[in-house]
Amino acid sequence: MSDVVLKMEHIVKEFPGVRALDDVDFEARAGEVLALMGENGAGKSTLMKVLGGVWPYPTYQGDIFIKGERARFKSPREAMDAGVAIIHQELNLIPELTVAENIFLDRQPANAFGAIDWRRMNADAAALLKELGLSDVRPTDRVKHIAVGKQQMVEIAKALSKNASILILDEPTSALTDKEVTELFRVIRKLRQAGVCLCYISHKMEEIEEIADRVVVLRDGRTIGAPTAIADITLDQIIARMVGRELTEMYPASTRQRGETILDVTNLSVDHPSLPGEQKVKDVSFSASCGEILGLCGLMGSGRTTLVSALFGAFPDATHGDVTIVGKKVEIRSPADAIAQGIALLTEDRKALGLFLGQPISFNTTISSLQTVSAPPIGVIDADQERALTERYIAQLNVKAPGADTIVGTLSGGNQQKILLARWLNANPKIFILDEPTRGIDIGAKVEIHKLLHRLADQGVAIIIISSELEELLGMSDRILVMNEGRIVQEFSRENASREAVMEWATGARRVET
Amino acid sequence: MAGHPALRFIRTNATLIALVVLTVALALVDPTFATARNLSNVARQVTIVGIIGVGMTMVILIAGIDLSVGSVVGVAAVVVTLLMQYGLAAWLAVPVTLLIVGGVIGLWNGFWIAQYRIPPFIITLGMLTIGRGVALSLTNGSSIPAADPSFALLGSAYIPPVPTLALLALAALAGVYALVKAWREGRKTALPHAERDIPGIVATAVGLLLAAYVFGGGDGLPIPVAIFAVIAAVAIFVLGHTRFGRRLYALGGNEEAARLSGINITATKIIVYVTVSLLSALSGILLASRLNGASPNLGNMFELDAIAAVVIGGTSLAGGSGTIGGTIVGALIIGVLNNGMSLLGVSSFYQLIIKGLIISLAVWFDVLQKKSWKG
Repeated sequence: MSDVVLKMEHIVKEFPGVRALDDVDFEARAGEVLALMGENGAGKSTLMKVLGGVWPYPTYQGDIFIKGERARFKSPREAMDAGVAIIHQELNLIPELTVAENIFLDRQPANAFGAIDWRRMNADAAALLKELGLSDVRPTDRVKHIAVGKQQMVEIAKALSKNASILILDEPTSALTDKEVTELFRVIRKLRQAGVCLCYISHKMEEIEEIADRVVVLRDGRTIGAPTAIADITLDQIIARMVGRELTEMYPASTRQRGETILDVTNLSVDHPSLPGEQKVKDVSFSASCGEILGLCGLMGSGRTTLVSALFGAFPDATHGDVTIVGKKVEIRSPADAIAQGIALLTEDRKALGLFLGQPISFNTTISSLQTVSAPPIGVIDADQERALTERYIAQLNVKAPGADTIVGTLSGGNQQKILLARWLNANPKIFILDEPTRGIDIGAKVEIHKLLHRLADQGVAIIIISSELEELLGMSDRILVMNEGRIVQEFSRENASREAVMEWATGARRVET
Repeated sequence: MAGHPALRFIRTNATLIALVVLTVALALVDPTFATARNLSNVARQVTIVGIIGVGMTMVILIAGIDLSVGSVVGVAAVVVTLLMQYGLAAWLAVPVTLLIVGGVIGLWNGFWIAQYRIPPFIITLGMLTIGRGVALSLTNGSSIPAADPSFALLGSAYIPPVPTLALLALAALAGVYALVKAWREGRKTALPHAERDIPGIVATAVGLLLAAYVFGGGDGLPIPVAIFAVIAAVAIFVLGHTRFGRRLYALGGNEEAARLSGINITATKIIVYVTVSLLSALSGILLASRLNGASPNLGNMFELDAIAAVVIGGTSLAGGSGTIGGTIVGALIIGVLNNGMSLLGVSSFYQLIIKGLIISLAVWFDVLQKKSWKG
């Protein structure tokens, strides 16, 4: 039981501008389920990627020992050969191939002529599946035809077929139904008994309680405390380890008076894009007022981004429910409709969903409000006016760039984010939704963005802010809504919101009894 | 984009430099190349693919492709000729053809691509076949003569030398005015645009002088060339200075971001595919007029020349970057190359090989450019 098979010492991993892992020590034993916990961005996935060779040696510093031997993986392949297998959140299966083909991808047994020995491959796959107790998956089924839960089992079978002795599961239950979770846990217990070392990444409390033997918490790229047996620690203690910090003086208390209600959302639901019958947002109702900063809190996959995107008209055919703006019911079928209603959405992923990286700052600033620099009917853009307007924003938001012609792709993250802010400021929104507005940007730009948001709220704009950083959310918001599994489960006022209380609701450690 | 300024200059203006080198070399090797008559011929030949190229630039700019343009040329040529045979006057047959051939095919392509997200490659490949089939069945596979004698004027008449020179002078004046305005503003904002703008200014000046030399004597300016010039000018203006142009660059650069910026993706795509079809139909009409009749095989493989012109002109197949000016240069390179190789007696078989190599080179260059920007 106390057979240490994995040891990681002084692991440091840096990305440009961020130290994602800061001297992490970590060990895991054979035949145990070790839960790895932490807020979004705490470094859990990065640590496992270092272990799995996704971030190859020497892009990190520190030592990894597998069964006492020093390991320096230069590729996922090498890690696999050493017995480390990762089941990622997004499954790495090829949907068009069969279960057996996926399990033995690139290692298919061959016959005397060098052709694939289908009979043996299918028989081997069947044996593996049987070992896992999966009687209803056939080796010859195409992966695209089996449910996500089964697909995950195929991934596990694949790892076992490579004799994995260390199995990392990164948020394995995020796409599973309750029944599939039960099945997964049965398999995990079986593997544990067989002596496999399982690292289980999750932030769902009830799962940890049920399946983990020990728990270790990561925060800001460091391990907080040694791995602790689950029997010796309470949920509250885990949450305390996860949130830790004290609120700094970075966030002054606001003295704003809340204005009239501007946005009223009733019974909003959003269908799951690939699972029929499932919903990513379930029957959500809330309202927002002029001059209010409303925080939306939830862990990854809780539905916060889906909720605001739906509100912005991103999934018109999957969205159900009523939206009322200034007392009038509105029909939002596209982002263009939303903008016309005075809604702006600063998207979470600024590179994929926001910026036109190859275009200049001016282009990026005016694209959502071209009417401000052009006149109907042809819509000829007044280049002088556009440059003047862009330079005004550059000065106002303190963007560090040579001029309005600078290509946005050449700017730093913080400055890019400011350009997106400029875009939406120029659209003059009444309701401004910001999804992770300060992720991955430096502290200076962060403070400036916070000040700007307060200024906008003072001017009467309703602001809805999503942030994975609890500290930021608590510091900025006048009111906080907590989401868990697609529902708004709790509301906090600024006064009675605490990190612990919010986290309890967000992780589902506390829930409304139904 | 680092490196020595001269190197950077060569890199950003490679196609333009290639065109100049090619033209000067051909002029030195073969004196007939540089005669006004021959160059006028080159211009006229470039026109047909050039007009399609303008539309193709827009399509490729939004990361699409239209393989059906050659077939649209064929159908339009056949339909306009047939309409006249049925007794319709030329001045009526032309707009009707534009509308029913260009409009309908463009709407068909655009509808499937924009509304149902069918890959443009597939839907326009289908239209390529359908269009050719329509042209062949309408004519029963044989050529047909134009019935209205006035129709031939469109493709073969000229604007006489004196008005042509006056037009060119006007264009030069407009250019100088724009330059002075830009220069004064440049001083105001203290932004050095010289490096970026000088090639364009020089190219325009040289182009105008060359146009004066080629079209200022002899018969004057061929009508199709004048039409192409107007279309190109309008397109340059629309892409560079209007909301619609902005939408194209946004859509091609990052479709999801464009949608979330409030751009109506569906409408924009449909307009673009209709535009390229309309321009291809116009090209087909001009061709029929020049030939004073139509054959169902007209426009065969034009899609490849049009795409080649766009790509040689520096428009990225990935979408989001490119210019009409580049496409014109690309079309000129292909035209000059065709003409020059024929004058030099290069076998048409080798011509194909050389053309293919140049297209490959252009794409490779495009990839290199991308890398240097990202790196």
